[in-house]
Amino acid sequence: MAVVALVTAAALAAILWFWPRLAGRGVAPVVARIGALCVLQLSVLGLIFLIVNGSAEFYSSWSDLFGDQSGGGAIVAGPDGHAGTSQNAVSGQALAPVTVLAATAVAVPDRPKEAGGQLQTVRLYGQLSGLSTAGYVYLPPGYRTRGGTALPVTVVVSGDLDSASNPYGAGALAGAAASQIAARRLAPMIIVMLPAEVGQHDQGCLNVPGGTQADLFFTQDLPQIVGSAYRAALPATRRWAAVGDSSGGYCALQLAMTSSETFALAAVPPGGYTAPPGPAESGGSPQIRAQDDLSWLLKHQPMQPISVLFTGRSTGQPFVAAARPPMHVGQTSLPPGKWQLTRVLDWIGSTLQPPAVRS
Amino acid sequence: MRLTSGFFIGLMIAVALGSVAATVWLWPRFASQRPAMMASRLGLITASQALVLAAVLAFVNGYFAFFGSWSALFGNGGSAPVTVSGVAASSRPIVVTGSDLGPVPGGSALPEDANGRLASKPPHFKGKDTSPSNVAVAPGLDLEGGAVAAARKVGKVLQMTVTGSRTGIVSAANYVYLPPQYFQPAYAHVRFPVVLALTGYPNDTWSIVRWLDLPSTAANLVARGKIGPAVYVMMNVSVALPRDTECTNVPEGPQAETFLAQDVPQAVEHTFRVQTGRSGWSVLGYSTGGYCAAKLAMMYPYQFTSAVSLAGYYTALQDSTTGSLYGGSTAFRDENNLNWRLKHLPAPPVSVLVTSSLVGEHDLAGTLAFLHMIHSPMHGYSLLVKQGGHNYRTWVRQLPQSLEWLSQRLTPAVAPGQPGP
Repeated sequence: MAVVALVTAAALAAILWFWPRLAGRGVAPVVARIGALCVLQLSVLGLIFLIVNGSAEFYSSWSDLFGDQSGGGAIVAGPDGHAGTSQNAVSGQALAPVTVLAATAVAVPDRPKEAGGQLQTVRLYGQLSGLSTAGYVYLPPGYRTRGGTALPVTVVVSGDLDSASNPYGAGALAGAAASQIAARRLAPMIIVMLPAEVGQHDQGCLNVPGGTQADLFFTQDLPQIVGSAYRAALPATRRWAAVGDSSGGYCALQLAMTSSETFALAAVPPGGYTAPPGPAESGGSPQIRAQDDLSWLLKHQPMQPISVLFTGRSTGQPFVAAARPPMHVGQTSLPPGKWQLTRVLDWIGSTLQPPAVRS
Repeated sequence: MRLTSGFFIGLMIAVALGSVAATVWLWPRFASQRPAMMASRLGLITASQALVLAAVLAFVNGYFAFFGSWSALFGNGGSAPVTVSGVAASSRPIVVTGSDLGPVPGGSALPEDANGRLASKPPHFKGKDTSPSNVAVAPGLDLEGGAVAAARKVGKVLQMTVTGSRTGIVSAANYVYLPPQYFQPAYAHVRFPVVLALTGYPNDTWSIVRWLDLPSTAANLVARGKIGPAVYVMMNVSVALPRDTECTNVPEGPQAETFLAQDVPQAVEHTFRVQTGRSGWSVLGYSTGGYCAAKLAMMYPYQFTSAVSLAGYYTALQDSTTGSLYGGSTAFRDENNLNWRLKHLPAPPVSVLVTSSLVGEHDLAGTLAFLHMIHSPMHGYSLLVKQGGHNYRTWVRQLPQSLEWLSQRLTPAVAPGQPGP
């Protein structure tokens, strides 16, 4: 390359210096001028080709450039390729996606014991995120006996799952669902209840840059986990909803707004949702932090095909004013008391279920 | 005037030749050795040399299809949008912009020029083929009698614009190859597996047809019984040319990863008769597209079951063509580094085939390093040729084996009453 560069520089200098000698009239000087320009041009092009090729090694040799290379190689399994076996090469630390630790029947007043369904205490493991979390799964009455149809799924993210009195506690949620289903006001659904933090530094179910991949857990692991262990609808059928309490509201809304392919619905308390709860974990990036502001997403990304219900009325909500189809936003006030989420479940049931199935 | 049109390239060549002629003509006027004259000579020489160079670049660009349009080369004025607002809910995610890509003489599924050679440029066909139907190819696109007969024999390449419903990204002048079986009555109710094929950077998507030779290679392998028929979705890996977006969700920028991994599959699944499960989808690419193929499969293993990376790389690139891709966060950059992912996150359940050359490919060491970091449940495979640079000739040699490898990992499209492969 250095040689070509020197030739180019020399050609340019020579042309400039010896210019007058080629300035005569007649055929010979004109031919000489053209020749001089051609030499310079070719060396310039050659130099550029060498520089570009050198930067990316497009052609490794003359035979490569002119197509003399031929013949392929053989495909070889890598050190862990395990050619021939499928993905069930069990590694020692592989955990089951769902471990059921306990199961209790959900009681519905004045109804037989089996009319309420079952509440399981579970441990979930996400294969992609590597996250493992405790949680609860509510299975509606008839889940075991009635075969066939896949059920819609509601994921509840709550800061107070173990509380007996909190409406967002697992017991109250299961009870509310059971009574609505028993009264045939709600079609059977599976409810997966998870804590507001599924991993270290998880705030709002985001992927902590370089850290806890909570978003990965909720958007990819969870459908896989639930789908592998329960008779659940695929998220692609748009029959998955996310619900959050005051701790999990950001999480639920964030999931719907950034992963509408998984969560078609969200029900969350009213709020601005300008930042995830807790200390910012945005990898030191102002841009990532800006994106974590859900009202920023509302302004800057296309309207997502989701329905959002705010569980309380408040004025000046950016989401209510700004949402346009295909995004739909509604608000409702909740009755006080332990069973206040029946209204939310009813809304989810009626919004998720295709009308033809309901009748 | 199109950047790759023959008229533009011809004009550039004419201007260049004119400038050389003018230099030769005006030569005697600057023949004294005064400094002003020397400067004028230098100016004259520089101008003519630059114009010749520009003509050569225009020709090479047209030949290799690096940049397909002025906006791809210089951008379209505005900054790369995070999204395009106002995407109507009812708008189709895929609009077929060209179905008549040229005559389809027997044997080739591809447009050919008048001399029977493969057309070197993408056709620029506007408007939809709305003729009355015999076969519905996709919503809004039907084929009539003669075209159906041809398609049943050799398949069909369609030009399409894909609009991402989640990201709002609009990517025009992409292509899909539907195999002959797609049009045959025996397969009328069969869903086909999909190979998502990604270009390098910078590239016009037509390069996959013209230079990687993907549709005709696939057609030949199917005809010889080496692979099963599949739908090949050919996409430009760059969603905001001239910027190199590296299939990354750029903070406050184009969400290229979501577009390619979720919007495109969803649009294709809604438009064509294809499979929807992970065992029905795989992704293949060369150079930047190779990195993206491996990355998309590793990040979305429930969408893609396998990936082929032809001369890809496995770290998170950032340079003058990409601009800031990671919001200034080294941690987020790490997440886009496939080696980092293998070290710090559980391995995803996918198979990846990486290709390189023992001589001539400067990322050989990086490729082997990546291969050796792969662990179960992920599976790595390699295809190394003895020699070959970072160019289509090398990848064309690696393509048939790569497609066979992919075909073994996809759920085949089998017509009822026919034995499986």
